[in-house]
Amino acid sequence: MSIVTVQLGQCGNQIGHEVFNAICSDVHDTHGLCSKKENESYRDACKERFFCEEQSEVPVARAVLVDMEPKVISQTLSMAARSGYWKYDDGSHFCQKQGSGNNWANGYSVHGPRHKEVIMNLVQKEAEKCDRLGGFFTIMSMAGGTGSGLGAFVTQCLRDAFPASFLLNHVIWPYGTGEVIVQNYNSVLTLSHLYKSSDALLVHENDVVHKICAQLMNIKQISFRDINQVIAHQLGSVFQPTYTAEGGLHYSRNPLGDLMETLVPHPEFKMLGLRNIPQMPENSLAYSTFSWPGLIKHLRQMLIANAKMEEGIDWQVRPPCLGSSIPSRHSTKKPLHFNTSVANLVILRGKDTHSVDLGSFRDPSLYTSWLNPKDAFHSWKTLRAFNKYEKLASLVSNSQFLLKPLDNVVGKAWNMFASKAYIHQYTKFGIEEEDFLDSFTALEQVISSYTSL
Amino acid sequence: MLFSIVFFFSDNQIRFVKAALWYYGYDRPELYRLPSDGSAGSRELLLAFSWLLHRISLLEQLLARNRVKTGDETSVCTCEDGLPNSLKGTTEKAPEHGLEGGVDVRYLQWLNGRLRFQWRSLHAQHEEQCKLLHKIHLFTSGSHVDQILGHFSVTETDLVRQPENYKQLLQLLESETMQLEAFLEWKQLEPVYWQWMETVLDNMAEEGNTCESQDARVEGSGLPKVASCCPWADSLTGQIDKLSRDLTTLREQLHKLTTRRKAAWCEKVKTREEELQKEGFSATARKIQESVELKLLDLTYLCAPPQKRMHGSHRLVFRNKHPASKMGFGRSVSKEPVSAVSATEVIRELQMTEASLERELKQLQEECRQRLDEVAEGLDGVICISP
Repeated sequence: MSIVTVQLGQCGNQIGHEVFNAICSDVHDTHGLCSKKENESYRDACKERFFCEEQSEVPVARAVLVDMEPKVISQTLSMAARSGYWKYDDGSHFCQKQGSGNNWANGYSVHGPRHKEVIMNLVQKEAEKCDRLGGFFTIMSMAGGTGSGLGAFVTQCLRDAFPASFLLNHVIWPYGTGEVIVQNYNSVLTLSHLYKSSDALLVHENDVVHKICAQLMNIKQISFRDINQVIAHQLGSVFQPTYTAEGGLHYSRNPLGDLMETLVPHPEFKMLGLRNIPQMPENSLAYSTFSWPGLIKHLRQMLIANAKMEEGIDWQVRPPCLGSSIPSRHSTKKPLHFNTSVANLVILRGKDTHSVDLGSFRDPSLYTSWLNPKDAFHSWKTLRAFNKYEKLASLVSNSQFLLKPLDNVVGKAWNMFASKAYIHQYTKFGIEEEDFLDSFTALEQVISSYTSL
Repeated sequence: MLFSIVFFFSDNQIRFVKAALWYYGYDRPELYRLPSDGSAGSRELLLAFSWLLHRISLLEQLLARNRVKTGDETSVCTCEDGLPNSLKGTTEKAPEHGLEGGVDVRYLQWLNGRLRFQWRSLHAQHEEQCKLLHKIHLFTSGSHVDQILGHFSVTETDLVRQPENYKQLLQLLESETMQLEAFLEWKQLEPVYWQWMETVLDNMAEEGNTCESQDARVEGSGLPKVASCCPWADSLTGQIDKLSRDLTTLREQLHKLTTRRKAAWCEKVKTREEELQKEGFSATARKIQESVELKLLDLTYLCAPPQKRMHGSHRLVFRNKHPASKMGFGRSVSKEPVSAVSATEVIRELQMTEASLERELKQLQEECRQRLDEVAEGLDGVICISP
């Protein structure tokens, strides 16, 4: 069951490269902390998922690289090839000779349609190489200019061309104080368009990852490469093979399908957040030991209190008491700052995962009233350790994690829109005020759905 | 020649047998009046068995089910599930929810979404199976002893890869051969069996004449008794009655409607003709013709007798020069491909079905939209934005 990755724009290509790196180095790590047989199944499952081994000595990543300028793509291709462990397919990329300005509308309305056929041909070729197409995984930034506009358009094309496939969008949420002045417009447009075509949006916030780098990874001069590596580590911890059923005999062959089915069956709730614990620099790993109960306790509090990482968790936040009263439809009875979930997925990797007690995540008070924990909570496990972490727990959560950031972005964008600032940049390429209004409406609907959990 | 067969049945088994026979349409009341302790009725059972034997080709069905699989099978049947094997009638219990007064619609949306995703996973698995099957057929082309087939089946390929499994396959083939030989023997002796059954029937007819007066009274109560032992019988009979009533009323309504419509239509045609003389005629005429043809296709397809559609299991055979074709089961492989169906034909039929189902869906969506608009008009301050 193979996933085709579509790397869009500078951000998408750089992150995509780090993701394949992380996955490959994890697979080659002989310290899997498990039996040789287990290691081999893990490796085979991972290879089937991400790489194609047909006619070359080195596994070829199942990916399509798209960008408007050639620099980043050629860098990405050469870095991968130099690693010696894996590479990209030489023909599987598309770029323009010259850049095309930092403009969302330009990407969506002009470059997208112009290059649609070439790009979709590349995707089709990758899809046909798969014996079983497990779906598409796109990586892009939300607020960049041409990259995000083009990315939104490509996502739409993917949905049209593969209506029966799973489609997961990984989006990078920009820094709150980012440099692009119209980043909020771009974000609103990207999100609203993605929401229509995609099955789920998995979000990484730049601010959060930056803090992780600073506080947990102890990096002094944080570069984009550091940020991308943290993101890649977190994504790898979700997408590497696991057993999705209790007592399963084989690694799951349907990672995207399983993810979608457990987290995003409801069409209004598609925003997913990701948390990892523990998170630390590689050279500290050897000196730290953790216990599962401690990790689970922290992870749960991170969920409830909407903490972005394992430091600075607010332990005062408690779940509401579901007394004998009828569960209320409005969340006014819930304490402030409490993060209500629609559904959660916990992924455990490493030593002794079969004996971990996850009962605290099955507490009905964590979830919205119309879903019981049996439907809302799932866990995947494997004894095979990931990336040298002896124990690692990841949480993919469909909850109010992104409610505040979303509200923020929409609010700022609306303020700008009220004074029609910079709108001409969009209208001159065919994105009219009406399209803006549609996007605002769609996102207001999402905000309202999540608020009333 | 009379003899009685003595079996020991449990009460449940007896009820199940009666229910199953009723489902297949066996309406001899004497069988249903048999006591539930299995103490009497071996002759009735014999009659019922013979009836079933003939009615549903019982032995042929059993043989077909026990065939050794080639792994290349596929079904081309597009009928809705009316197979007697799936005895529907069990209703799923709605999941416990703790919410008084019904289920939250968001939970239903959740379940619907899960169903959609599961369907997609199934679809992907199916595509994978097709791809791999194609690979097998392609790579083993020209290797088969049988020139017409030309390539291995899944089972044969598996045998090549894991030769130690030959023992198991041999056992299965031997048992299938034994069954077929037994069936052949049966076929030769079959006329004797039916002759014997005739004598049994004759005997019964004689006895029946003497007891007819008694039976007449009890007969009326035959069906209700059956209904009690068959959980879905009530609903089925009720539905059948309702259907027949609906049919008669519909017929009358239809008649009235058609006469009224014809009159109105003639008026419309006259006025439209005059209009069209002024505008371009050919383009509109073509459009009208196309839509009428579509509608006609829909109707003919809906009324198509079910025999015209294909049923049953077929074996996939890969053809290099011509598109892939399929050969019907149950025929010996001879020089010319027997009852072969080309994949393009099946695809075309499926596409037609898909198109007509889509039209039906659009129609239903339109109706829903109108209904929602009506409801929204009735509510104050509510604007309905339909998707």
